[in-house]
Amino acid sequence: MTSQTIALFRYLMLGIISRRLFVLLAILLFTAVLSGSFIQELAIINSGAIVSAFVADMLRYSMALLALLMVASAVAEDYESSQFERLLTMPLARWQYIAAQFMVIACLCLLLVLPVLLLVSLYSGPVIGIYWAAALWLELMLISLLGLLAILSLEKIPLAVFFTLAIYLLAKLSGLISQMLAESVYLSDGSAASRAIEFIFSVILYVIPDSSSFAQNDVFFEAANLFVALGSQFLSVAVYVLFLLTVCLVDFYRKEFNF
Amino acid sequence: MRRSERPLLSLPRPLLLAFVLLLVAQTVHHHFDRERLESSYRGLSQPFSANIYRGLAMGSEQLLGYLLAIRLQLHDNQVGRHFNYKLIDYRLLIEWLDRITEISPGTEYPLLLASRVYTSTGDPEQLRQILGFIEYRFDDDPQLHWRRLAEACITARHKLGDLDLALRLARKLAQQPASVDMPNWARDFEFLLLAELNELESAIAIIEALLQTESVNDPDERRFLQEKLLDFRQMLFESQQLPVK
Repeated sequence: MTSQTIALFRYLMLGIISRRLFVLLAILLFTAVLSGSFIQELAIINSGAIVSAFVADMLRYSMALLALLMVASAVAEDYESSQFERLLTMPLARWQYIAAQFMVIACLCLLLVLPVLLLVSLYSGPVIGIYWAAALWLELMLISLLGLLAILSLEKIPLAVFFTLAIYLLAKLSGLISQMLAESVYLSDGSAASRAIEFIFSVILYVIPDSSSFAQNDVFFEAANLFVALGSQFLSVAVYVLFLLTVCLVDFYRKEFNF
Repeated sequence: MRRSERPLLSLPRPLLLAFVLLLVAQTVHHHFDRERLESSYRGLSQPFSANIYRGLAMGSEQLLGYLLAIRLQLHDNQVGRHFNYKLIDYRLLIEWLDRITEISPGTEYPLLLASRVYTSTGDPEQLRQILGFIEYRFDDDPQLHWRRLAEACITARHKLGDLDLALRLARKLAQQPASVDMPNWARDFEFLLLAELNELESAIAIIEALLQTESVNDPDERRFLQEKLLDFRQMLFESQQLPVK
């Protein structure tokens, strides 16, 4: 069973690794370095830290989008070419497909994070570089698995990408949204509608990743306990990833395929 | 050998006329173009509250603070040219600097912009506003901002010519506890300005106190203080010898 899953993982991985991926990666790294140099010219003081943080954040968002698109397009291709029907005629359980996709995502994220590790280490030293690479790997895992769930459920790339980005942004901007909703309750003198919206959002917050699931950019400016930050992020991501995998399995097992 | 020139009036009349007309045209065009460019200046917008920026930063508050500071620093460069600082609304500018300080506490950037960039204005009122900002933000972290207050003190003395303001800033520097690590010259501003204000007794009293408390250990600094003490005593003595008119 394990060998079947590994064989499926290798097959899926070969579908993702392409020259296009490496070209895109090179373009993203070059753009980040170029933009960083521009910022460095403008900053009067602390330019080293500003550039490192800027390049790290730019790579974070571009790599997240790249990983999401790679995962979504690979699964969408499986739908379009009736790959699932073919795979399920073989002696394979559905969970093995999800397990293989999980391994693909882990390897893809590792592949994307390696050049970031080198670049951030060059800018900020190896300790920050290793922290950022590890934290980014966890963040990419999270968004890629969200993308996997979205594409398995919605089956169309644009829908899946928008859904995943919406969840990602909602998680990242949850502090601001909560604050705005609290303000609207205050301004409307505690109207029932405002309170209901605030309540609904507070419930939604329980099923989206919290702020500790993401890499902390402030480490470029102030001394922080990187080990503690990474440990806390690992715990949050691990719980959420297991939750996502379960939802993926539930959704995938419910799907009807026409053989 | 210098080539001799024909007198200007001997040139063909149409050429002279064209020269004068085009000189006038160029001057008029430049005048209106400058006015047009100045009217094309886009003022600073009102900043949002710090909480909104913190939310928008998506976890990168420090980076956002620095990027906003860089954006503010570039504000006077629009449509490919540099605008005079007089056009900037310093009330809004200070609000932006405040906001950036709130978003990324512990940063030196907003105060550096205030003391090195925005004190370049020639308008005394704007200068007072920006020095006021440096003065009250200094209290956030005296260790981090003592250089900015020292610069503000010099600006108040030499650019604004306001000795009272300079003295107030210098006093603030001098009154910092010994735990704030800064060079002695920064603390010396107070008595130097007092002497300039002709308050020699106060200046002498400060120097004597400094020498007696042994808070100054550096021999060069002690020698400097002793020399100043002698100078001020001499000046005081001479001023007391002057006949009263």
